[in-house]
Amino acid sequence: MQAESIDTIKFTIVSPELVKKMSVTKLMVPDTYNEDGYPIDGGLVDQRLGVIDPGLKCKTCGGRAKTCPGHFGHIEFVRPVIHPEFAKTVYLLLQSTCNQCGRILLSEEQIGELRPAIKTYVSAEEEEDAARSTELALQGLSDAAKELLLKRLKATKECPHCGTPHPKIKLERPTYFYAGENLRIKPDEIRDWLSKISGSDLTLLGLDAALRPEWLILTALLVPPVNVRPSITLESGERSEDDLTHKLVDIMRINQRLEQDIDAGAPQIIIDDLWELLQYQVTTYFNNETPGVPVARHRSTRPLKTLAQRLKGKEGRLRYNLSGKRVNFSARTVISSDASLTINEVGIPRRIAENLTVPFYVTLWNIEAAKALLLKAEYPMVINAITKEGLRKRVAEANRQELLAAIQPGWVLERQLVDGDIVLFNRQPTLHRLSMMAHTVKVLPGKTMRLHVSVAFPYNADFDGDEMNLHVPQSIEAQAESRYLMQPKDLVLSARDGRAVMFTEEDEIAGAYFLTKDDATFSKEEACTMLAGIGVYDLPRAVKGGVFSGKSIFSMILPDDLDYEEDSKGNKVVIKGGELKEGYIDAKLIGIGGTLIQRMFSSYGSDVTMRFLLNAAKLSLRALLMQGVTISIKDYYNSDFVNGEKLRIVSEVSARASELYSKYKKAELEALPGYSRKETLEMETLATLDEARALASKTLEKVLDRTNIAYLMVLVRARGSVLNLVQTSMLLGQQAVRGKRLSRGYSGRVLPYFRKGDKAPNAKGFIASSFFEGLTPIEFYMHAMGARDSGMTKSLVTAVSGYLQRRLINALQDLYVDRDLSVKDASGALIETLYGGDGIDPMMEQVVRSGA
Amino acid sequence: MPTKNDRGEKLNVSPGEAVGVVAAQSIGEPGTQMILRSFHAAGISSIITTKGLPRIIEIVDARKKPKFPMMRITLEKGYAKDYEKVRKVWRKLEEVTVSKLIKERGGFSEDLGARIMVLNLDKERLHTYEITPSQVASRLKKVSGIEIGMDGMEIRIKVNGTKDMKLTRQTFVQIRKAVVSGVPNIEKALVQEGQGGEFYITTAGSNMAAVMDIEGVDKWHIYSNDIFEVARVYGVEAARNLIAHELFETMSEEGFTVSFRHPALVADAMTHTGQIRSIGRHGVAGEKESVFARAAYEETVKHFTNAGVFGEVDRLNGVAENILIGKQISVGTGMVRLAVRKDELKKIKAEE
Repeated sequence: MQAESIDTIKFTIVSPELVKKMSVTKLMVPDTYNEDGYPIDGGLVDQRLGVIDPGLKCKTCGGRAKTCPGHFGHIEFVRPVIHPEFAKTVYLLLQSTCNQCGRILLSEEQIGELRPAIKTYVSAEEEEDAARSTELALQGLSDAAKELLLKRLKATKECPHCGTPHPKIKLERPTYFYAGENLRIKPDEIRDWLSKISGSDLTLLGLDAALRPEWLILTALLVPPVNVRPSITLESGERSEDDLTHKLVDIMRINQRLEQDIDAGAPQIIIDDLWELLQYQVTTYFNNETPGVPVARHRSTRPLKTLAQRLKGKEGRLRYNLSGKRVNFSARTVISSDASLTINEVGIPRRIAENLTVPFYVTLWNIEAAKALLLKAEYPMVINAITKEGLRKRVAEANRQELLAAIQPGWVLERQLVDGDIVLFNRQPTLHRLSMMAHTVKVLPGKTMRLHVSVAFPYNADFDGDEMNLHVPQSIEAQAESRYLMQPKDLVLSARDGRAVMFTEEDEIAGAYFLTKDDATFSKEEACTMLAGIGVYDLPRAVKGGVFSGKSIFSMILPDDLDYEEDSKGNKVVIKGGELKEGYIDAKLIGIGGTLIQRMFSSYGSDVTMRFLLNAAKLSLRALLMQGVTISIKDYYNSDFVNGEKLRIVSEVSARASELYSKYKKAELEALPGYSRKETLEMETLATLDEARALASKTLEKVLDRTNIAYLMVLVRARGSVLNLVQTSMLLGQQAVRGKRLSRGYSGRVLPYFRKGDKAPNAKGFIASSFFEGLTPIEFYMHAMGARDSGMTKSLVTAVSGYLQRRLINALQDLYVDRDLSVKDASGALIETLYGGDGIDPMMEQVVRSGA
Repeated sequence: MPTKNDRGEKLNVSPGEAVGVVAAQSIGEPGTQMILRSFHAAGISSIITTKGLPRIIEIVDARKKPKFPMMRITLEKGYAKDYEKVRKVWRKLEEVTVSKLIKERGGFSEDLGARIMVLNLDKERLHTYEITPSQVASRLKKVSGIEIGMDGMEIRIKVNGTKDMKLTRQTFVQIRKAVVSGVPNIEKALVQEGQGGEFYITTAGSNMAAVMDIEGVDKWHIYSNDIFEVARVYGVEAARNLIAHELFETMSEEGFTVSFRHPALVADAMTHTGQIRSIGRHGVAGEKESVFARAAYEETVKHFTNAGVFGEVDRLNGVAENILIGKQISVGTGMVRLAVRKDELKKIKAEE
């Protein structure tokens, strides 16, 4: 319900006249409160500037602390002061205009040459036609014009209009200007100079002709309302003023002293000193981090937070308060998993459901339902009633009947959260859009919020203490958008690459293997238990002896008309007419990026896919429970052959490493481009020793088979990798710090155990032991070094990639697809004529590719 | 089952979709899992390039030169399969400086006081690059102020031009760095065998314009990872393709699949003005139309003060500025606008 909204915002600089117009009073007294603790009239907390004490009334508008927005006051300077943030602009103007006649230092011909390069500048006030004003030059000048202009101006030694010689202007930071080497130009002189420049010359410099440059030299200073700089009362009853108030007191004090000294006819040096001091105070008032200016400090030596500091940076007004806002109707707690929920649901603790509310909009047609709701005195009940006038009343036993009588269309009842309500669920860091999705509420006992494990991946959540946030959308529009655009079941495929991001994992994958492998059969009881568990009450056709094949049981959850084929590493899967004919179900199909899930989503839609995903998981888990699977130490026990191979591998890579070294010694090793020979030796040695693991993997893969359960888990891609097996039963391999073998610690060696300059692989972090054998203390120490390095690197990557993410999003957030599927940015510029060259939804990328 | 037409529609993006954010997230989100080490321990006989997160940042920042420039040169039909001919091309490529031709040990000695330098050429090295000692000498004649004496594999140099030790030293360095043959900026070239026995050449260092003219080089198929060089030689369109392709490849190498449209959109946003702009505050984000959007990103005070003197107008079209002032954002479902006939509205209001 936006009655009026902001259309455009124009930025200008403020004239002294406008300052006086905006101001309610001129401030005269450089102080705040008198001895009685009462605001001084004409002081910095003058009651005409608004009030913050709850008891007082604003002398300008009569409002109280809550209703009065505050009013500006002003200070008049006895001597003008340069606005420090505009010193550079002033510098440009002084360099390019004549002190005598105020003209730009270009001859008429030169101006004529320049004109075409300048975009026509039209002041926004004069510009009525909105279409044309988009051409309005932002920074006034094109780069080419700027370059040309500056070159010309630099060459000019005297004014081409009146012939006055033009001195070289020097700017000494932050605000001191000199003509030539050491003739100081004081602010009042600068002001006179700037006021001579004509509007048409200003446009040549790219400035707005309506904004007078002399306004950059302040003669009056706008004082913000007290609401902007509230003082706080400490427990001791002592008042503590805001940093801005402190600064303003300083400014006024110096201004007053300056006035007194001028009136008393004090020597020029004293006046100039005070003037400079006033300039300093104003400079730090605007920006207390101005380069070249000592930082103004509080009594406690804490630097003052002045205007620029309030706006800037991550904790500044823009990023902290305006781009990011705090919200109501939200909850946060620890999460845990619940296999009984769907991926679309979220389990909410009763206590949270009782406190969060959803608005119920009372209309002519639902008023009876509203009344019934209002009558309820326990859990799903109304907490607040909002009248037509917008008055929020808490519903209690005492006023229930009264409200019931008064209720009419236009009221809003805030009722407690119930099953089926839509809520937004979020986990930080919110790295992609799948980090915030819309779930339907399921109120549950307990104190954690619960989600299905298959939806943990997109959130990147686990249940070791992770907390998540919940938001209840209030408007009907927000609820509808959440439902239509943000539900997990509609986001099964990733917008990054179109692959499945909600899938089955670990035990579920292992279970699917045991359920669907060729020789898997189940008794009638077993088949019934499994299928009933997912709400299927039919049985597949039995094979001989009343036994059911696992494949046929799994086929019960496949759509009847599904034809599908997939060939992954020696496992050819064929599904025909909704029957699993050949192969077993593995991670390639229903794991991360699962092609079967993707196929389901494109052919049967989100609801069928979600059901399939949940059923496949449940079915597989039950099959796994019936099977019973365990790994033991036996799975990691090596045969003599493997142990022999390991020794061979270790000596092989060691030999190759020492060969590299002797090549280096004989100067035969050629340096890689960009690196020294020594660095090259290190890199290649590392690569060689690193190969030990790869060689060991090959050996293990040759020796192991499906009878080894740990290896089976790897094969069906349920959990673990061959590298895990290698490190547990063969060797840990080379440890590295900063991408190099271990080298630091003691001089010339990692630990005093070794001789200085020992070149043996094990002296530099090569670990030939396995977790099974156990590590020697030396090896253990080296392993810890590698682990610490990877921990450090990880935390560094998070910082670097976080900033990359922020930059990318900031640069690209305005891009959107227009109605003709072209991509445009906020200014309407065409970025792509057809999104991605094909106009395809990135979520559907793989679907289009697979041609399904 | 949906009809064919319905399916086609279903596959299209929805108008309003914030594809910029999707692209940014698709490239940024995997960043946390990417390596920070800039190179792989690549092993022997390969050209080193920047990999992983550092490479992505390098591209997105639009750095003027990559840390490790690289080229892949395809050879013309008659050359590609003939190793001897390929070697011939190769010889012309690698930048050979004097210091690459002298002996590894004791290759040169210098006496600053006497201003004499002695170079000891390496026979084998001369042979690999097919360079004769007299060629080296004639190259050195271009260095001013020196006198050259030759004795077989030995070249004696006396600096006459100056007596200043500093300048003498500079001359010595200049001599060692003098390029005898090859293409400037190409530090190293390697012949590699590709599919079907066709050879190609990879180089460390990039100089497309010069390589194009070498006989045997297929000038239609030279690849370089230097974005600005590609822009200079082939134009921005080629540079945009390179940005997209390099982003895509860098991510693929790390094992992250990403739809090509995401890197392509980043590339388009960087290049649609005809210039290559970086993503950060000195590029795309810093040149936005909206004052608020720029101020909320970085350099807040600078943007506000500039907006003041230049009298800028914020039209509130983008996302950031609308969040700032509390209006609905302009993308997604916020793109939809309603047109209302004001006179009719007034009539209705009057009736109420």
